[in-house]
Amino acid sequence: MNFFEKITGSDMTKQMKEFDERAKVLPTDYQTAWKEIMSNLWIHGDFTGRKLMPILESALELLEVTSADGQSVEEVLGDDIKGFCAALVGSDGAKTYRDKWREQLNKNVARKLGGLQ
Amino acid sequence: MLEIISRGETYGYEITQQLRELGFTDVVEGTVYTITLRFEKNNLVNIEKKRSNVGPPRKFYTLNEAGQEQLENFWRKWNFVSSKLNELRDKGGK
Amino acid sequence: MSIKKIIEGRKEWRAHVSRVKALPQDYQIVYKEIQKYLFKVGPVELNEGIGPLSEIISFFEEGVIAGKRVLEVTGADVAAFCDALIEDSKTYADLYQDSLNKKNLRE
Repeated sequence: MNFFEKITGSDMTKQMKEFDERAKVLPTDYQTAWKEIMSNLWIHGDFTGRKLMPILESALELLEVTSADGQSVEEVLGDDIKGFCAALVGSDGAKTYRDKWREQLNKNVARKLGGLQ
Repeated sequence: MLEIISRGETYGYEITQQLRELGFTDVVEGTVYTITLRFEKNNLVNIEKKRSNVGPPRKFYTLNEAGQEQLENFWRKWNFVSSKLNELRDKGGK
Repeated sequence: MSIKKIIEGRKEWRAHVSRVKALPQDYQIVYKEIQKYLFKVGPVELNEGIGPLSEIISFFEEGVIAGKRVLEVTGADVAAFCDALIEDSKTYADLYQDSLNKKNLRE
């Protein structure tokens, strides 16, 4: 990750290390998703670094919380990680993707509440 | 909602109840909750958390000065619009 | 982040999770979906602590006491409820896009 140190700052390198540590304890399929997210955001960012950190962190938190709940990674991220990442950083296509999240949310609620009865 | 709060300290579920009684039957607690949240963010209300006998502490709202002003503003605009509309209707009738 | 802060954060989080678990099933389901959605959208307040999330729980707890079902308090369109929750919040995506735009202007 020397390349990383060059373009960011060591504080961010430190944070990236912390993210790595946290990602290591995720279930395998979640780890794969995390790596995929990282590589996708790499393309999106020319890493205007600092601003990207909180976005990465909240994505990681999402993975931590949902994996602890035992949800499947597909259920959390959907099948289109590229689109998911675009929406995370708010680039082109983010709006349609957020609409998809909305739809997903209401559908999940309807399905799961339906399962209760 | 500001008007309801201006009449005395109240909390979310009570505001919803009052709106329903006024005839806004499809208002849900969630609607009121998100609006009070916005009042809070825009600093229009004072908040006091009080323990209730059952459940979590409840947030009670009262209007502060900025909220009062906002409310007066609203009524001014409202009166203006409704008087103009009445004027229009009366003219049309003749 | 200092170790102490992490531990404190965990403790706080654990307390939060146990409040979620104390809710009736239907509330839990909707809460979890809301949480997932908010983490994705990423409003700035969320990184400043679990305050906003625990407020939702308080709101739900009150609904339970009032004897209501969850969709009666959120309305059937839970996504709309979420969007109203964060209506005036900036998201991290917004901040990121702002910084990209500024950078492009400079170049």
